[in-house]
Amino acid sequence: MKVLIIEDNEDLTLNMVNYLEQENIRCETAKNLFEAQDKLLAFQYDCILLDLMLPDGNGLDILSFVKSNQITANVLIVSAKNALDDRLRGLDLGADDYLPKPFHLSELLARLRAIYRRSKLDGSDQIIFNEINLDTKLLEAKVNQSVLDLTKKEYDLLLFFLTNKNRVIGKEAIAQHLWGDYTDDLANFDFVYQHVKNLRKKIEKADGKDYINTVYGIGYKFDGNAT
Amino acid sequence: MRLLNLLTAWYILITMVGLLIGGFLIYKKLEKEIDFELGRELDRQIDAYAQRVKAGVPPDRLNYDKLEIKEIPFNLPIEELSLRDTVAYHDPMNRHEKQLKASKSFKTEDKHYRISYYNLVIESEDITETVVITMVSIFLIQLVILGFFIRIGSKRILRPFHRTLSKIRGFNFQQNKPLEFDQYAISEFNKLNSFLSRMSLKLLKDYRQMKEFSENLSHEIQTPSAIIRGKLEHMMNEDISENQAAMIQSIYQSNEKINKIVRSLSMLAKLENEEFEAPETINLSPVLLKVIESMEELIEMKDLNLKTQIKEEAFVKIHPFVAEVLLQNLINNAIKHNQPGGKIQIELNDYSIRIENTGKLPDFDPEIFFERFKRAENRSDSIGLGLAIVKQICKTYGFRPTYRIENNLHVISILFK
Repeated sequence: MKVLIIEDNEDLTLNMVNYLEQENIRCETAKNLFEAQDKLLAFQYDCILLDLMLPDGNGLDILSFVKSNQITANVLIVSAKNALDDRLRGLDLGADDYLPKPFHLSELLARLRAIYRRSKLDGSDQIIFNEINLDTKLLEAKVNQSVLDLTKKEYDLLLFFLTNKNRVIGKEAIAQHLWGDYTDDLANFDFVYQHVKNLRKKIEKADGKDYINTVYGIGYKFDGNAT
Repeated sequence: MRLLNLLTAWYILITMVGLLIGGFLIYKKLEKEIDFELGRELDRQIDAYAQRVKAGVPPDRLNYDKLEIKEIPFNLPIEELSLRDTVAYHDPMNRHEKQLKASKSFKTEDKHYRISYYNLVIESEDITETVVITMVSIFLIQLVILGFFIRIGSKRILRPFHRTLSKIRGFNFQQNKPLEFDQYAISEFNKLNSFLSRMSLKLLKDYRQMKEFSENLSHEIQTPSAIIRGKLEHMMNEDISENQAAMIQSIYQSNEKINKIVRSLSMLAKLENEEFEAPETINLSPVLLKVIESMEELIEMKDLNLKTQIKEEAFVKIHPFVAEVLLQNLINNAIKHNQPGGKIQIELNDYSIRIENTGKLPDFDPEIFFERFKRAENRSDSIGLGLAIVKQICKTYGFRPTYRIENNLHVISILFK
């Protein structure tokens, strides 16, 4: 996958590039509208990460630019301007998703993958990792060919782990991924623990390996090298 | 009280005082004038009688109840006219009346006479009566004129003032238009209007700046905060010790807290700026059910017993996004501050929503929880803005929120109408 990150803050860009490149996503960056338009005309991208507040204009202009130049890239708006109408206007103008800043990098990756699956793979994708097999069309998870009886949240959690495997994912990131805006309760992440525990149990029951490690008090890691 | 009524009341009061003083002065003047005229008249009469006596008419024949001619020793000096009030018998009225007595002496060739002439005085009661009647009629005429004045006044004279008032009433920030007034002939109104015009311009400018500031603030803080979060997430993946992990976690959570405060404050600012207009009513029931569903896990985790009594259709005039924020904050509050194994009761109908919870009882007025950054104890998981947002939402849409302790329960109820 190849993405164009349109963002004027270098630190933020660096964060994103570092994270995504480890997942074999090729990243190119543009600091402003002008540079972005230049690159969009010259190269092909699968996805555009778009900040709305740019030094030379509003990022929403890119949306119409993409449309009028028949560029096939998907657009994920990443913006700190948490205004409700920005979100609605962006989606109206053809953006595929909207991720308010500040976001978790793991969440960014999950959204990118989801957009990619939806548009390029028509929603169907098999995510295979050792004995685990996820079918994103059927929303089904198998371990050693037997279907796991997962709740919607447990399925989402497993997909989130597989998307971000071999990385420490913070409890907050998991909470926000599963419950979205409702995770205002900052200290109470017991329910994350509960879901992780249940998921582990169900995988183990189907004779799967225990890939999910607890990392001190911070979060969890889906360790692909677990023995 | 209307301005015109106040003006009228003052005008009537001042007129009354004026008429009272005027009446008193007129009474005094009238009394003096009457006495003076009467004295002159008596003097003339006495002179006429003296002429007749000098002409040879015997004084005895002239005497009657008003006239008394008396001979006095010739060697006495001639008495000038003297006026005296006396009480004398008045024959036609058959009683004693206050009379004015004028006396004067004159000499014929060999005799000296004193003539006293009595006349009825106009009584002070009569003068008072006349004066009062006059003054009261003047006053009544004044009232009638005043009535006309008020009608004309309210319609004509104060018309520019009323126009200004209705323009101010129509002013709001959404239209983003300063107040503009026509020119009037009266300089005071023009001064007032130009001042109001300038003030409205300034208000709009300040409002725009405030709005931009709160938007920029949230953007400017969120960007560095996002960088911190990203770097911390990278750090988590480094080879770290448990100690470092604890520090990362602590930084991470503080950063999240900053984030949440900024988001909440910007929400409050948006509500204060009335950015969420509610042109139509929405049904709160499905919104409430959705919010409850999303929090079910939290409720289970705390082992809370939830009871609901939700009317299927509860239409309320509110912006759909704000409705969700409102309900989320209310229920989150009831969960967060509840004790494990406690109860939550939610009632919703067209008129109100009522949420009870079995939280720890405070030893102060619970209404204080509606204020910003006020919470029961210094909890790390609460920033103390949830109920402030609830209150601001209520203020924006004209709802009436109350927070009471009833039967050892925390009860928040919001009246929609």
